[in-house]
Amino acid sequence: MPGSEGAGEELFPESCFALALRGSWTLAWGLESHPEILRGPNTKMEVFQTLQRLHMTIFSQSVSPCGKFLAAGNNYGQIAVFSLSAALSSEAKEESKKPVVTFQAHDGPVYSMVSTDRHLLSAGDGEVKAWLWAEILKKGCKELWRRQPPYRTSLEVPEINALLLVPKENSLILAGGDCQLHAMDLETGAFTRALRGHTDYIHCLALRERSPEVLSGGEDGAVRLWDLRTAKEVQTIEVYKHEECSRPHNGRWIGCLATDSDWMVCGGGPALTLWHLRSSTPTTIFPMRAPQKHVTFYQDLILSAGQGRCVNQWQLSGELKAQVPGSSPGLLSLSLNQQPAAPECKVLTAAGNSCRVDVFTNLGYRAFSLSF
Amino acid sequence: MGAVTDGGIPRIGIMESKDEVIRKRLLIDGDGAGDDRRINLLVKSFIKWCNSGSQEEGYSQYQRMLSTLSQCEFSMGKTLLVYDMNLREMENYEKIYKEIECSIAGAHEKIAECKKQILQAKRIRKNRQEYDALAKVIQHHPDRHETLKELEALGKELEHLSHIKESVEDKLELRRKQFHVLLSTIHELQQTLENDEKLSEVEEAQETSMEADPKP
Repeated sequence: MPGSEGAGEELFPESCFALALRGSWTLAWGLESHPEILRGPNTKMEVFQTLQRLHMTIFSQSVSPCGKFLAAGNNYGQIAVFSLSAALSSEAKEESKKPVVTFQAHDGPVYSMVSTDRHLLSAGDGEVKAWLWAEILKKGCKELWRRQPPYRTSLEVPEINALLLVPKENSLILAGGDCQLHAMDLETGAFTRALRGHTDYIHCLALRERSPEVLSGGEDGAVRLWDLRTAKEVQTIEVYKHEECSRPHNGRWIGCLATDSDWMVCGGGPALTLWHLRSSTPTTIFPMRAPQKHVTFYQDLILSAGQGRCVNQWQLSGELKAQVPGSSPGLLSLSLNQQPAAPECKVLTAAGNSCRVDVFTNLGYRAFSLSF
Repeated sequence: MGAVTDGGIPRIGIMESKDEVIRKRLLIDGDGAGDDRRINLLVKSFIKWCNSGSQEEGYSQYQRMLSTLSQCEFSMGKTLLVYDMNLREMENYEKIYKEIECSIAGAHEKIAECKKQILQAKRIRKNRQEYDALAKVIQHHPDRHETLKELEALGKELEHLSHIKESVEDKLELRRKQFHVLLSTIHELQQTLENDEKLSEVEEAQETSMEADPKP
């Protein structure tokens, strides 16, 4: 067995040392599932990389404007770009399921990413950075610009949990730990407005196209609608106050939001519910016990994913149409590639508490997984 | 074709075995195994016929040659017909191939059409479900007609009651006024009576004082 307890000491962090001393070397590292580590001479680097992949969480995904590439951001601050067209083609090999390029984008986790028609915007540790899609595939890609919204104190650097593009105004909305929504103009890079109203940090954003209004949901359990032109809060829906959907044992946090101009679906601590925005009434409660972390409207269905392996497909009437298991024990983000330029890459990708991104070509089953 | 030697078997080589010979023979003339041999036989019998002596033998040889010739012609005719048939089959296949291509293109279009229809149907289904969801919520609230009727009834009751109140108040006013009149009349009477009493007392007092004071 490579490395007795004495010789391999520099490999073991303190917390694993006790377990290792008792001889359960593999348990200490969770390496039972990686037998290749236990055979043959392995460098520190390989062990480190395997461990990284074991403890990786992918928080965000974004599809390129041409539709052929998918970027995924993880908790180590790395962004990996996968080639969907190569992985979906008929002569795909194992290497096509690996990233084309991986680079260190942020110092902290990359919680959120969006794509404009030329740039990839990523945010996580209090800053938002922009990368050119055309340059991203080359090694040693540098960010185009980085901006930090004006925080109230210079000491705190709150994380940015959600990014939202408002195409009509060419602006970007950021929201996160400082309980405010910051609007940034993409041309000038200046921060135009700060919308205050939430009393706790904000998890998710959604754009209501018709008005146009922005919906934000946060830890304080309220979904607030903001009118961008007047920069005022137009409507507040306190989800946890409605008996039908509140689940006090889970908390009142709103983890995910999606809107369809007249309707909104939100979930998290309270049950996943469909709301009619004009009358602020909950119309359908989806019977899902696990809190959902990402939800989206698709054609006549609502797709949701959260704690639990499966991507759930709901009909608006509240029936569960299908539950398709993925490969990660929990899912944090879903992404539908609906770019018109690449109809052959029209897939649903799901990622979460593992280093893998599941690709569903047909909503009924998981085709394969891309891996960091 | 094929070197003709005695016995009809071409001399290939001394070293080759019988199997090789048979194989080569089959390769050269696999299909019409009889044709090549027949032609060779014909040539041989022609030579024999040229060299034959008697009339009968010659005649029978001649007949035999004719029959061999006709056999060859027959097989040639057959091959020509087969060739013709193959050509026509090819044409037929070309036609079928083109038809299938057309129908594939047609099927592609139909698929695209159907996909559009599916999208449309999904949209319709979504609208229906939204409608249902809202309808369920609305059902919880009571019917508008009934509420209006109740409102009307309540309004009428209110009116009626306010009429009653008015009339009662009028009566009350009237009675109050009458009482007032009554009381004030009583008061006046009292006053008058008191005044009278006082007057009569004063008169009596004057009289007694006048009586007590007559001798100056």
